[in-house]
Amino acid sequence: MPNPPHLQVPLRARCPSAALLTLLALAATSRAADWEMSLDTRLVSSDAGRSFMDGGLGATRYDRNDSGAQLGRARFALTASLGELWSAHLDAYAWDDKDRSPVGVTEAYLQFRPYPRAGYRFRLKAGAFYPPISLENRAAGWESPYTLSYSAINTWLAVEVRTIGLEGQLDWLGTRTGHDFDLGLTAGAFGWNEGAGVVLASDGFMLHDRQTPVFGRVGQPGAAPLGAVEPFQQFDGRTGVYAGVEVRWLDRVVLRVLRYDNRADPTAMDFVSGAIAWQTRFNSAGLRVESGTGWTAILQWLDGETLIAPPGLQLVWPFRAQFALLSKRFGRQTLSARYDRFEVETNVPDGDGWQIGHAFTAAWLFDADAHWRVALEWLRVRSDSYYRTEVAGPPLVTETQLQLAVRYAFGSGAR
Amino acid sequence: MRPPARLRRSGCTARRAVRVLALLAALGGRAGAVLAATLVIHVQTPDGHALAGAVVTVRPLDAPPRRPAPAHALMDQVNRAFAPDLLVIPVGSTVAFPNSDSVSHQIYSFSAAKRFQLPLYRGKPYPPVQFDQSGVITLGCNIHDDMLAYLLVTDAPYFGRTDAQGAWSTDVPRGRYRVSVWHPRLRESEADLERELTVGDADRADLQLRLLKSLQPAPITDRPHSWDY
Repeated sequence: MPNPPHLQVPLRARCPSAALLTLLALAATSRAADWEMSLDTRLVSSDAGRSFMDGGLGATRYDRNDSGAQLGRARFALTASLGELWSAHLDAYAWDDKDRSPVGVTEAYLQFRPYPRAGYRFRLKAGAFYPPISLENRAAGWESPYTLSYSAINTWLAVEVRTIGLEGQLDWLGTRTGHDFDLGLTAGAFGWNEGAGVVLASDGFMLHDRQTPVFGRVGQPGAAPLGAVEPFQQFDGRTGVYAGVEVRWLDRVVLRVLRYDNRADPTAMDFVSGAIAWQTRFNSAGLRVESGTGWTAILQWLDGETLIAPPGLQLVWPFRAQFALLSKRFGRQTLSARYDRFEVETNVPDGDGWQIGHAFTAAWLFDADAHWRVALEWLRVRSDSYYRTEVAGPPLVTETQLQLAVRYAFGSGAR
Repeated sequence: MRPPARLRRSGCTARRAVRVLALLAALGGRAGAVLAATLVIHVQTPDGHALAGAVVTVRPLDAPPRRPAPAHALMDQVNRAFAPDLLVIPVGSTVAFPNSDSVSHQIYSFSAAKRFQLPLYRGKPYPPVQFDQSGVITLGCNIHDDMLAYLLVTDAPYFGRTDAQGAWSTDVPRGRYRVSVWHPRLRESEADLERELTVGDADRADLQLRLLKSLQPAPITDRPHSWDY
């Protein structure tokens, strides 16, 4: 009897899955493990077009058919020491959105963390994790402590970008040796990334909080107009790389710059699934400034391109996005406002995949205690998209989504 | 220009005479008895505000060095922070790191005065760490990067921290002293803040020290420790 579709795991995903299981088994036997479970439920009101997970072009997570009660997500996280210098980290999510598996792993990695020596600190990560780009997604589980929906830049990272490979980081800890600055250098090498770019070139930028599970998919197979895509695939045999620099001033200012190139072969195609390798490269920069009075300002910038080159063609989608976020903490409450701008261009003659837009987000978060959090978010996205004309709709649309979220967390890591 | 070290003489000679007599009587009139006076140190920020929490150490210059007795101190880990985040201890003291948190910590120092690494797993006690060399020791946690604390290990016989009024006082025998001031967020060298003074016949000697550079801003403390910082 064939397996039901949600249990079918592609062959290429089995090897890393086995590694994840081994990692989990190791972590479970560890003498020092911290775990956390949390449940995030939502009340949603939305007038957005069909959601990307249903094959649509809505720029928000919930569309007009999703108004009412929703499962924001359920999360299980585990951090375990493996001996003194190694640790294992796992983040598993359930999004209730018809992915291949009801529970997906968004990050799972081993970290080698020798003690700092003579003012220098080296760290190595191996597994699946986010490259160090976002200055917004700083809370546990790569979530934002400012808003429910991430900025357009960081939503794109959540959807299509993950390091499935290795990352080394060397820090000079100036602030621990009497200076005002710390300096960090990061470099990563990764695979399973040939799909990165396909969502950007079809759906364009979006603003939501769904993180594609490793080897998970975006959209629904057969759902018009976009169907389903898998960002984390490997079939061109090439290794992607990134390198970045981080400068910190005390614990107040962080500046990050990173160059990313998945080095995919744009002529490669997976003959089984028909998937094309998307060569995606970008520069990113971010600045976060915090005051001692509860103010936080974040600026992030992204500029790159994704391209495919089927025989006789070279189709390019340059993209760029920026956002500015301003937030103020009042005790247990946080008020935040963010403005996003984003744009995807193309050299395809009829403009396939072209998108331009901007978004306003306002959010209030209340952390009642270590377990309960209440959040209210208003998000308005105005965007002009080529593909909307393809589905016989107006290309320029304003979508508004209002969410009330209640989150409960428990476990040894939640205290 | 650096403000000069100021010594204020007490005008009340009659009271002083009574105290001297009383002290002499108490000492049984032994020749060469050492007389005590109160040394008061005032530390100010460059804009003239009182600096609380500054560490003051006082060493005699013309008496044989006398080391203070070692102590047993405690620096706990509570809510992913060191408590207290600064300890001043005499050379040879031991410090226990009990870890009251539900999560594990890995305490380390790469400071020259004491390099050590100490994993603190839940429910497992670790022996105290001994500090045999004077100097400033910066402590961190290899798991929680925002954890930060300081140990000042001193061989000075007199030491303490300024109060909310920026003052600290101690009773010392008359003589010459070197006074040093240190603060974790100091931007100038400790040597620039050293002063010598003579505690003479007066009951009380005052020294006012003003920093030349403003301190680094205080660490942000209301940020959740689980955040990437």
